[in-house]
Parts: sequence; structure tokens; C-alpha cells
Amino acid sequence: MGNWERLVWNQRNVLLDGFLVTLEICAIAFAVAVAAGLGLALLRLYVRPLRWPAIMWIEYCRATPIYVQLMWVNYVWPEILGWPTTFYTAGWVALALQSSGYLAETFRTGIENIGRGQREAAYAVGMSPLLTFRRIILPQVLVTIAPSIVTQFTVIVKSSTLVSVITVQDLMFQSQRLVNVWFEPIEILTATAAIYILFIFAVSAAGKALADRLRLRYGLGT
Amino acid sequence: MADPAGAPCVEVVDLHKRFGALEVLRGVSFAVDRGSVVSIIGASGSGKSTLLRCINYLEQPTSGEVRIDGEPIGIERRADGSERRRSMREIGRFRRDLGMVFQQFNLWPHLTVLGNVVEAPIRVRGLPRRQAMELARACLERVQLSEKSSEYPARLSGGQQQRVAIARALAMQPKVMLFDEATSSLDPELTGEVLEVMRGLAVDGTTMIVVTHEMGFAREVSDRVIFLHGGLIEEEGPPAQVFGTPRSERCRQFLAKLLH
Repeated sequence: MGNWERLVWNQRNVLLDGFLVTLEICAIAFAVAVAAGLGLALLRLYVRPLRWPAIMWIEYCRATPIYVQLMWVNYVWPEILGWPTTFYTAGWVALALQSSGYLAETFRTGIENIGRGQREAAYAVGMSPLLTFRRIILPQVLVTIAPSIVTQFTVIVKSSTLVSVITVQDLMFQSQRLVNVWFEPIEILTATAAIYILFIFAVSAAGKALADRLRLRYGLGT
Repeated sequence: MADPAGAPCVEVVDLHKRFGALEVLRGVSFAVDRGSVVSIIGASGSGKSTLLRCINYLEQPTSGEVRIDGEPIGIERRADGSERRRSMREIGRFRRDLGMVFQQFNLWPHLTVLGNVVEAPIRVRGLPRRQAMELARACLERVQLSEKSSEYPARLSGGQQQRVAIARALAMQPKVMLFDEATSSLDPELTGEVLEVMRGLAVDGTTMIVVTHEMGFAREVSDRVIFLHGGLIEEEGPPAQVFGTPRSERCRQFLAKLLH
């Protein structure tokens, strides 16, 4: 047990710092991805002239490996756009980019699966299309796609380990740093894996509990 | 609101609706006076539901007009005689006055019963919350579902859901209620409670246009019955005439088939 104590327990503050950075960068990326995904889905569905650009953007986000995107955002964007200026920003932007593509498609299917009657009932009482979307369609979409959204968050958490490559000091970065200091990978990397597993399990379980509750209450989803 | 010109509550003028090559409505005209109940009957595919959906512009008529208290819904006529198509938002303003009840209820599953009823009075009419709540509770009482106000629609029977849908439409205090085969997707033992509510509304003097397969209801409750065939009005008159001594052969055949 000596190694575990020395390499993991005694380094817990370092690992915790890393974990907090992971948490933070994932939360930012997730929030941005949800907003961007919804925006992209709406452009694709309702804004005729922007339909094809939106589809191409979505496909680009989905079809590029996260590592390529990370490099692209980190090295290409600053050259062309002058932004992002920090590795940290480049990290969450790349993570958000990829997930926004997937979430856009999740939102689109969710919106398309709401029956026409829901919309018509809203129009029939005089609601405008915008109000109908906000009050009637979107809440139902969120309930039905809640499990997919939670899954996408876990994808972000897993992908986020790559931001250590551009020196963002997340959990993976800290753990690799410890490995490089001590040259003892077994305990440190195993503990790191365990932290990721526990966290992702916790998120999935919470997501499932939430989805079950929503389904029971509204009789929505499958 | 009383109309100074004394125009009928709803006026349908030479309404045509075409879906691609299919002309579903081929020139339908009729008027509905305030406080009267008009039933529209006919075989499936005769254009009944399309006609009702054109009245509140859920389907845009290909040509012709629908007027509410003399004012056309889809077109604005300016003083200089020019015409302009109204926007969705403007049409929405007319729809507030046209309560609609659908065959499939179409309750919003993410809102409670009370939430379904109170939504439009608050968001569309802009009533203060407390006043809207009072109104919604009164409407639920009218359909005898006060005790279900905090349930979600998924927990209700079909008949209860449809009664909530009626309350939701009533809460906008519309000038006219449109019923689109309101009992057709209900089990036979549940149609009674919905028809009972509709009968109550008719007795209270609600102006109603009812698309229905319930001939008993049409006969008892309507002031006038319209038999639609092939997108045209084939027979029209008081129920005693349409059901008793129809002039049209097709109407006679349609009714004979239903009675067997």
C-alpha cells in the first residue's frame, strides 16, 4: 500500500486541482455546445438560406477527430481569427465544437419528433411560432433528449483528456506530470482511470434517474 | 363583442382548398349566427376537417374568404380598396377568437391540466396570473375536472383529456368553438362525457361549428346541419330536414349507410 499512499493519496491535492480544471472546462464546453447545437439545429430546420451551411458545419464537426479539431482551433484559428489566445480557451472551444455537431442532430430529431398536433394546438389558441417553440416545443424536446444530452456530457469528459496535449492542466495533465516525476505509472494512471470511471458513472446514473423521473411524470420519451 | 354591422359571427365565402392536384374544397359558403350550433357531416374524405381547419387558417385556403364578425381573417382590405395578406402574427390575433378542439386532443404533455388551460390566457391574452388562474379553474369546473387540475395529461383517460382540451379552448373566451371530430378517437364508453360537455356549451348559447360522426348529437343539438360531399355542400338545413327528408340522394345514402 505504500506506493498508493505516496503516489496517489499524498498527491491528492494535485489530482484534485486537475479534476477541478477538467470539471470546469467540460462544463463550459458543454454549455456552449448545447447552445450552439440548438442554434445549428434551428438554422438547419427553419432558416432556408442557411440550411446548407448549417448542414456542412454540423457534418464537419461530427466527422473530424477531436484531436484534429483541437490542433486546428489551437493553431489555425489564432492565425486566421486572432482568437483563441489561450490554450484553455482553445481547449473548450474544440470540445464544444465537436459536441455541438452531435447535439445539433439530437435537437433536430427531437424537434422533428414532436407531433404536428402540439404545434397546431398552440397556433389554435393564438400563439406565435416563436412563443410556440419556446413554451411548447422546446420543453418537450429537452425532456425527450435529456438522456442523449447527458451522454454527450460524458463524451466531452472523455475527450477532454486530450486538452492536456496543449498543456491545459486538467486531471490527465496532472497525472502525467506525476508519472514523469516519479516514473511510476501503475498507481497514478490506475487512480486516474478510476476517477474518470467513477465520475462518468455518477453522471450517467444521475442522468438516467432524471430521465426516468421525467418520463414517469410526463409520459414522454420511450 | 357585438358587431355593429350585424354580420354573422362566422362567414365562409366560396372557400377552395387544393393539396397539389387534389381539390378538397371546391367552393364552400355558409354563415353561422351568434349563439347557433352548426354540425358538418359527411363521409371521410368529403373535406369536413379541411373545412374546419381552413376556418382558423391551420390550413391556408387556396381561395375564398373566412370572416369573423365581418372581418376577413387572411386578408386586410384597406380604405383605398387595396388588399394585403395578413402575417402569421395577425392571423394569430383572430385565432384567439376561434377555440379549436382536435380529434387527438393535443394536450401539452409537459404541462399540468391547469398549466394547459392557463397557458394561453397568460401568454397570449396577457392576463395577470391570478386572474388567468381563476378563469382556468372556472373552465375546468365547466368540464367537471377541477379535481384533476394538478395532474399531467398522461395520467388522464381519453375522455378526460378531451374535456381538458375543451377547457383550454374555452379559457380564451372565444367567439366560436370549432370541434374537429372531438369524439372520434375515444372508446365508445368515453364519448358520452365529452358529448355531455358539448351539449352543455350549446345550451349555454356558445356558437359552435362541429365536425362529427355522431349523428344523434348533430340531430339533437344543432340548429343547422351541413352535409358535405366531394368538397361541396350537398345538403343544408335544420336537422329535421337533413335527417328526416333530405333532398339529396347522396345525403340519403350516407345516412342510410350509417343507420345499418
